[in-house]
Amino acid sequence: MSQPLNTTGVHHHAHHFDSADHEFQASKQGMWIFMVTEVLMIGAIFVGYLIMRARYPEAFHEAHKLLNVKLGALNTAVLILSSYTMVRGVSAAQRGNNKLTIRMLMTTIALALVFCVVKYFEYSHKIHEGTLPGGNYTYAELSMPHVPLFFSFYFIMTGIHAFHVLVGIGLMTWMIKRVKSGEITPEFFTPVELVGFYWHFVDLVWIYLFPLLYLLG
Amino acid sequence: MADQKNTNHPQTGHEPDVNANQGDHGHYILPDSVALKTLLALAGLTIITVGLSYVHLGPWNFVVGMIVATIKAALVAGIFMNLKHDDRANAVIFGSGFLFLGIFFCLTAPDALFRGDVYVNGRPLTLPVKGVAKFKKAWEPTPEIVAHGKALFAQNCVTCHGEAGLGNGPAAAALNPKPRNFTADVGWKNGRHPAGVFKTLKEGIAGGGMASFATLPAEDRWSLAHYVISIGPNVVKDTNADLAAVGIADPTKEETGSDETPSIPVNRAMEFIANEEAASGTGSANVKAGVGQSDLSGYDRRLEAHTFAPSL
Repeated sequence: MSQPLNTTGVHHHAHHFDSADHEFQASKQGMWIFMVTEVLMIGAIFVGYLIMRARYPEAFHEAHKLLNVKLGALNTAVLILSSYTMVRGVSAAQRGNNKLTIRMLMTTIALALVFCVVKYFEYSHKIHEGTLPGGNYTYAELSMPHVPLFFSFYFIMTGIHAFHVLVGIGLMTWMIKRVKSGEITPEFFTPVELVGFYWHFVDLVWIYLFPLLYLLG
Repeated sequence: MADQKNTNHPQTGHEPDVNANQGDHGHYILPDSVALKTLLALAGLTIITVGLSYVHLGPWNFVVGMIVATIKAALVAGIFMNLKHDDRANAVIFGSGFLFLGIFFCLTAPDALFRGDVYVNGRPLTLPVKGVAKFKKAWEPTPEIVAHGKALFAQNCVTCHGEAGLGNGPAAAALNPKPRNFTADVGWKNGRHPAGVFKTLKEGIAGGGMASFATLPAEDRWSLAHYVISIGPNVVKDTNADLAAVGIADPTKEETGSDETPSIPVNRAMEFIANEEAASGTGSANVKAGVGQSDLSGYDRRLEAHTFAPSL
């Protein structure tokens, strides 16, 4: 996002756009198209999961019991709350309240870190028990065919999601820097809003991941 | 926080009126109260989702769970991501992603779920599981083969035909025509004699509820045929013509079922390969050696020889 800046640090729309609004709408549409590619990427793995789940219902049912519902629910609450703080941060930027925007972005980052810490505990527990994907599966108390397949899906799906969370933390840190620079104004808040979109999408994916993996397996 | 709303933008008023929440370039600004209500709705729906997992609704757990998740997703996309007040084109773009995902699922699922219904050629099903025929000349009834048939009947047939073979098993209620009552003498599709039952087991009955049991080894099908005849009013024997009709040209020979068209579902065949690879330690399969292959040993090698390297 190389936004052209003049010497005073105030954003001016790029020369190939008619107006600032035109630029804003184009940027936003680009973000939506990016999110379609995200839907299709994670969606392909969802389809694979659903088909394998339909084919081996017993194995997937037994395997899903090994996940910790409480930690999953905690992370769901954390992500939903972080979506709320993010939306508050964006509306504050739109109203020109940059202080509140920074506070909200920092809260969102803190919640994202809580998510990562919970995920760390879940992963390390699984590595310790040996409930790992494919041939790495060594958990002796449940040796059923296709159970390792469940954990292949679990780690790939939650892994891709966790990667998005980490990227989100980076983007939000970058946004804090840009808000602090005074670049973000009620006339130009595109980057903050688009990072907000990204973060809500991360939440949206988890909204499906949590019941599919933890509750309904 | 409410007082901060207007610090720089008097036009983004306090009124809940949607049109009042417009920033510059007509951009909609989400009122804090709506954001908070959405958060509470999402939290409530999450509690419902978790609570739902403790209620057993069978397959409806999945349906309701996904509906609740979709409502939550709609709240996030519609309100937090502002699709509700956004350019309609963006909703179309985002929706198209899910549309194509749906098409992908609908095209993939039938293939993946029903592939097992497609059969490939495979030789070994005329042979018994352990590699050596338990019954020589399986078309000749003996007490042993009838006992074997009885055990197979309990595994494969009682759901529809009932434990006593009266055609009144638990699944019979849903079937029309009703499953055969083996104690009745008349109305048998392929005749009431072992070779006729053997033919029915192999081919199934088109238009009826009877499925093909061609995946059972031939001697198992003969065993079932002898048992089914044994529970009837009298024990009927095959004539040489009856046996010839199912491919036993010379009943004095010990070969079973020479005209068998061996077949095996593709997914079974894939399991064999996976088990074999796991057993030899070379494969990438998930299945560990010794898991799920107890009743399959002996099949796999012959399958490879006859099915996957057919002589051309």
